[in-house]
Amino acid sequence: MGLWEAFLNWLRSLFFKQEMELSLIGLQNAGKTSLVNVVATGGYSEDMIPTVGFNMRKVTKGNVTIKLWDLGGQPRFRSMWERYCRAVSAIVYVVDAADLDNLSISKSELHDLLSKPSLHGIPLLVLGNKIDKPEAISKQVLTDEMGLKSISDREVCCFMISCKNSTNIDSVIDWLVKHSKSKN
Amino acid sequence: MAQPLVKKDDDRDDEADYSPFLGIEKGAVLQEARVFNDPQLDPRRCSQVITKLLYLLNQGETFTKVEATEVFFAVTKLFQSKDTGLRRMVYLMIKELSPSADEVIIVTSSLMKDMNSKTDMYRANAIRVLCRITDGTLLTQIERYLKQAIVDKNPVVASAALVSGVHILQTNPEIVKRWSNEVQEAVQSRAALVQFHALALLHQIRQNDRLAVSKLVTSLTRGTVRSPLAQCLLIRYTSQVIRESSQNSQTGDRPFYDYLEACLRHKAEMVIFEAARAITELSGVTSRELTPAITVLQLFLSSSKPVLRFAAVRTLNKVAMTHPLAVTNCNIDMESLISDQNRSIATLAITTLLKTGNESSVDRLMKQITNFMSDIADEFKIVVVEAIRSLCLKFPLKYRSLMNFLSNILREEGGFEYKKAIVDSIVILIRDIPDAKESGLFHLCEFIEDCEFTYLSTQILHFLGNEGPKTSDPSKYIRYIYNRVILENPTVRASAVSTLAKFGALVDALKPRIFVLLRRCLFDSDDEVRDRATLYLNTLGADGFVGETEKDVKEFLFDSLDVPLVNLQTSLQNYEPSEEPFDISSVPREVKTQPLAEKKATGKKPAGLGAPPSGPPSTVDAYEKLLSSISEFSSFGKLFKSSAPVELTEAETEYAVNVVKHIYDGHVVFQYNCTNTIPTQLLENVTVFVDSSEAEEFEEVVSKPLRTLPYDSPGQTFVAFGKPEGVPAVGKFSNVLKFIVKEVDSSGEADDDGVEDEYQLEDLEVVPADYMLKVGVANFRNAWESMGDDCERVDEYGLGVRESLAEAVSAVINILGMQPCEGTENVPNNSRSHNCLLSGVFIGNIRVLVRLAFGIDGRQVAMKLSVRSEDQSISDAIHDIVANG
Repeated sequence: MGLWEAFLNWLRSLFFKQEMELSLIGLQNAGKTSLVNVVATGGYSEDMIPTVGFNMRKVTKGNVTIKLWDLGGQPRFRSMWERYCRAVSAIVYVVDAADLDNLSISKSELHDLLSKPSLHGIPLLVLGNKIDKPEAISKQVLTDEMGLKSISDREVCCFMISCKNSTNIDSVIDWLVKHSKSKN
Repeated sequence: MAQPLVKKDDDRDDEADYSPFLGIEKGAVLQEARVFNDPQLDPRRCSQVITKLLYLLNQGETFTKVEATEVFFAVTKLFQSKDTGLRRMVYLMIKELSPSADEVIIVTSSLMKDMNSKTDMYRANAIRVLCRITDGTLLTQIERYLKQAIVDKNPVVASAALVSGVHILQTNPEIVKRWSNEVQEAVQSRAALVQFHALALLHQIRQNDRLAVSKLVTSLTRGTVRSPLAQCLLIRYTSQVIRESSQNSQTGDRPFYDYLEACLRHKAEMVIFEAARAITELSGVTSRELTPAITVLQLFLSSSKPVLRFAAVRTLNKVAMTHPLAVTNCNIDMESLISDQNRSIATLAITTLLKTGNESSVDRLMKQITNFMSDIADEFKIVVVEAIRSLCLKFPLKYRSLMNFLSNILREEGGFEYKKAIVDSIVILIRDIPDAKESGLFHLCEFIEDCEFTYLSTQILHFLGNEGPKTSDPSKYIRYIYNRVILENPTVRASAVSTLAKFGALVDALKPRIFVLLRRCLFDSDDEVRDRATLYLNTLGADGFVGETEKDVKEFLFDSLDVPLVNLQTSLQNYEPSEEPFDISSVPREVKTQPLAEKKATGKKPAGLGAPPSGPPSTVDAYEKLLSSISEFSSFGKLFKSSAPVELTEAETEYAVNVVKHIYDGHVVFQYNCTNTIPTQLLENVTVFVDSSEAEEFEEVVSKPLRTLPYDSPGQTFVAFGKPEGVPAVGKFSNVLKFIVKEVDSSGEADDDGVEDEYQLEDLEVVPADYMLKVGVANFRNAWESMGDDCERVDEYGLGVRESLAEAVSAVINILGMQPCEGTENVPNNSRSHNCLLSGVFIGNIRVLVRLAFGIDGRQVAMKLSVRSEDQSISDAIHDIVANG
C-alpha cells in the first residue's frame, strides 16, 4: 500500500510541481539580500555586507521551487542586471522606502531597465521596503514617485513590506506563487 | 626530463585513435553554449560543452569580446546547479576566459560563498579562482578566510590558498606578508603537497631578506621536511644560501655541506639527484666534496629508468667540463650508455666521454659518433660539436680527424644554430692550431658555395678576408669569393666585395686581378655593392690615385669601428641634415653595461664569430634630452656622464627612491626618481633636502621640486650643485625626502588638507669613478704603445687580505670605473696572478689607459698599477684614487 501511495505522490509532484525564476534588483542597501533571507529562512540580520556580484538561492514554498537571482545594487553592477532578468518569471524591484534622496535614481534605473526589448512583458513586482522606519513613505507616494502608472506593457504590482518585522512577506510570496502558476 | 611522459602519446598515435574534439568549430560550440540558459539544466551536457570551449581556448582559438562576454554570463548562470562536476568546470571556465575586471566581479559573491562551503572541492577551487580575479580592495575582505584556509586540515584547500598566496605576492606583497605565522604552520603539515607549497611561499615572502632566508634554511635543514618535493626546494634554497655566504665568510668550512651530503642517502631519487646536482654546482667544489655526489650519479647511470639515466649523465656532462678527473670513474658505465635506446642519453654519454677520455680513445669514439649523428636532434648535435671543439683544443695532434668530422657534418642537413656551432668551432680551431688553418679555410670555402644562411656567409667572408691573404697561396680563395659576387643576395655580395678588397690590400701580386673583379662589381644591381666597390677601388689606388697612405688603408680595412654601434646608430638617427657634416668623433663612446643575465650568457660562450653584443637602447640620450629641457640646467654645458641609478631606499618600502648622478664640467645634478607605493596617499611639493656638510667642495645652486607624486606613477626631483671646474671633487651627501602628504579616498579624490612629512633616505656619495667614462679600445696594445710613456706613472700597492683574486680585481675596476678590455676582467679559477687592462676617458676628455698586474700569496694581494694618459696630472690623479680607495 505504501508503495502505491509513494507512486501517487510522485505522479502528483510531476503534475503540480512548479518552478519559477526571479531576479531581485534595486539600488544598494534596499534590502534585497535581507528579503531573500526572510523568504528562505525567516531570519533577519541588521548586519549585512554589500553583495559583490550575485547570490543564487533556491527556495521551495509549497510545491513551488523558486530560483532567486539576488543581484548587487552598486552602480558597477547595474549594467549587468539585464543579463540576469532575461526569461525570468518576474522581476522583483526592491526600493528603500525610507531613503527619499535616492528615489529619483531608483526610478530612472528601473525605467532604463524596463526599456530593454529583451525584458518585454515580464511582470514587475515593486517592493517598498523598510516601512518599519518612521520616515518611510506610503504606497501611494511610492507609486507616484516611481512612475509606476506609466508602465503599460506589463503587469505591475506594488507592496509595502518590512523585512525586519516580516510585514507583508506572505502576500509577496502569495503573489509570486500565483505567478508561477499563471505562467504555466 | 619529461621524456617518458611523451612516450605514451606516441604509442597511441600509431593506432588511429583521434581526439573526440577533433574538428569541432567555434561557431557550433557557441551555439551549443545556449544550453547554459535552459530553465532545466542538464549538468552532464553543460560539462561537455564547457569541455569543448576549454579545448578551443587551449588550441589557441580566440573569442571576440562579445562572444567571451556572452559565454561568461551564461556560465555564471550555472552556479544554480548543485552538480559538483559541473561547478568544477565553471571554475575552470571563469579562469580560462579571464573576462575583463568590471565583468568578472559579478561572480565574487558566489565564489566567496563557495569558499566557505562544506564541500572541500568547492573551497579549494573557489579560492584559486577568487585570488585570480580579485583586486587589492577585495583582498582585504577575504584575507581572513585565506589565512584560515592555509591551516585548513584538508590538504587540497591548504595548497590552494598557499599557491594563491604565491600569485598574490606579486601584486599585493604587504598582505601576504601578514600570513607568515600561518604559512610557517603549514610548513609543518603532514601532507606532502602542502609542505611543498608552504615552503615555496615562505621563501618567496622572505626572499629579499638574506638573513631571514639563511635562518629559514638553518632551521629547516635541522628539522623534518618530509615531502620529497619540499626537500628538493630546500636543497635549492640551501645552495643559494651557500652561494651568498661563501662570498663573505672567511673560514674554509663550507656551511650546510653536511646537509647536502646527508640528502644523498634520502629515500626519494628526486632528492638524491637534487642534492648531487647541488653539490656539483658549488662554486670551487673540491674533489673530496664531489666524490659522494659522483658516486650516486654513477649508480643512476645504470638505473632502469631513462629519466634517472638522463639526469645523471647530463649532470656528469657538466661536471666533466670543470672536473674531468672526478668523472673518469664513471667512464665504464657511460661506455655502455653509448648504445642506449634513448638518443639524448647516448649523446650526452658520448660527449662526456670525449671530455674525459684520453688521446687513444678519440678515434674509436669518433667512429661511434658518426654512426648516430643522423639520429639525434639539432640541439644535441650542437652539444657534440662543442665537445669536439674542446677535444680538439686538448689534443691538437688529432686535429685532422676532428676537422674531417666537422667538415662532413657541415655538409649535411641542419638548422642555423647547428651550422653556426660548427662554423664557430672550425674558426676557433683555425685560430688556435696553425696547422689546421689551410684545411679549415678550405672547408669553410666549400661550405659557402652552398650555404643558405646569409649571416654565416657574411661572417665567413669576413674571416676569410682577415686570414686568407696570410696563407701560402691566397689566390685559390679568390674563385670562391668571386662566385659569391655572381651568385648570392646583395648582403653577401657586399661582404664578398669587402673581402676581395682585403686580399687586394695585403697581396700585391693579386692586386691587378682584384681590380678587374672590383670593376666588374661597379655594374652590380645593388647600391651597397656598387658603393663598396667604388670605395675600395679608390682607397686601394686602382686609378693611379693614391689618396691615403698604406697604413691608413689597412687601418680602414681591418680595424674595427672604435665607437659602439648602438651609439653610432642613435647619433645618426638624431643627426638632422644641415650644412654641418656628420662628425663621427661626436658619437659618445661609452659602452653601456649590459644587464647581468646577458653578460653571464655571453661570458660563457667561447669567442667565435659571434655578433657584437647588442647593448640596451641608450639611456644617456634620454637623460641628455630630459636635462636640457630644464631651463635651470641649460647653462651647465655638455653632460659628461650619467651614473647608473643608485637605490636610496630598501626594496618594498613606502616610497622608493633612487638617484642618478649627472656630471657636468662644473656642476653635478642629482636626479631623484621617486615612486609612491601607497595607494591612499598623494604627495605634493616633493623635494630632497641634501646636507652637503661632508662634501666641502660642493655648493648647492638650485633645487627643483616635484609638484605632485600620485600613487604608482614615478616622478623626478632634481638638486644641482656647483663644484670646481674640471676637478674630480668627491664627497658624501645625506638626503631627506620632504613632502606634503594628502589622504586619497576610494574614489581617487585627495583631501584638501595635507600634512608635512619627511622620510630619511640613505646617503649618497660622489666617487672618483663618477668622473670616468667607460670607453673601450679595440686593440689595447696598439693604444698603449701609441700613447707613449711620456705621462706614465707606475707604482705598487698592497691590497691586504682579500677573499680571492677575482674579488680584488673587480674591486679595483669598480673603484676606477673604467672599461675592462679584451675580457681581462675575468679571472680564471685558482690562478695565482692576473693581468687586467682598463681604458676610459676622464673628465676634461682625457684618455686614460691602465695596466693592472695582480698577484696573490695566501690571501695577501699585491698590485702593480701602470697608468698612461695624455696628462701627467691625470695619471697622478688615478694613482691617488687607488691609494685612497
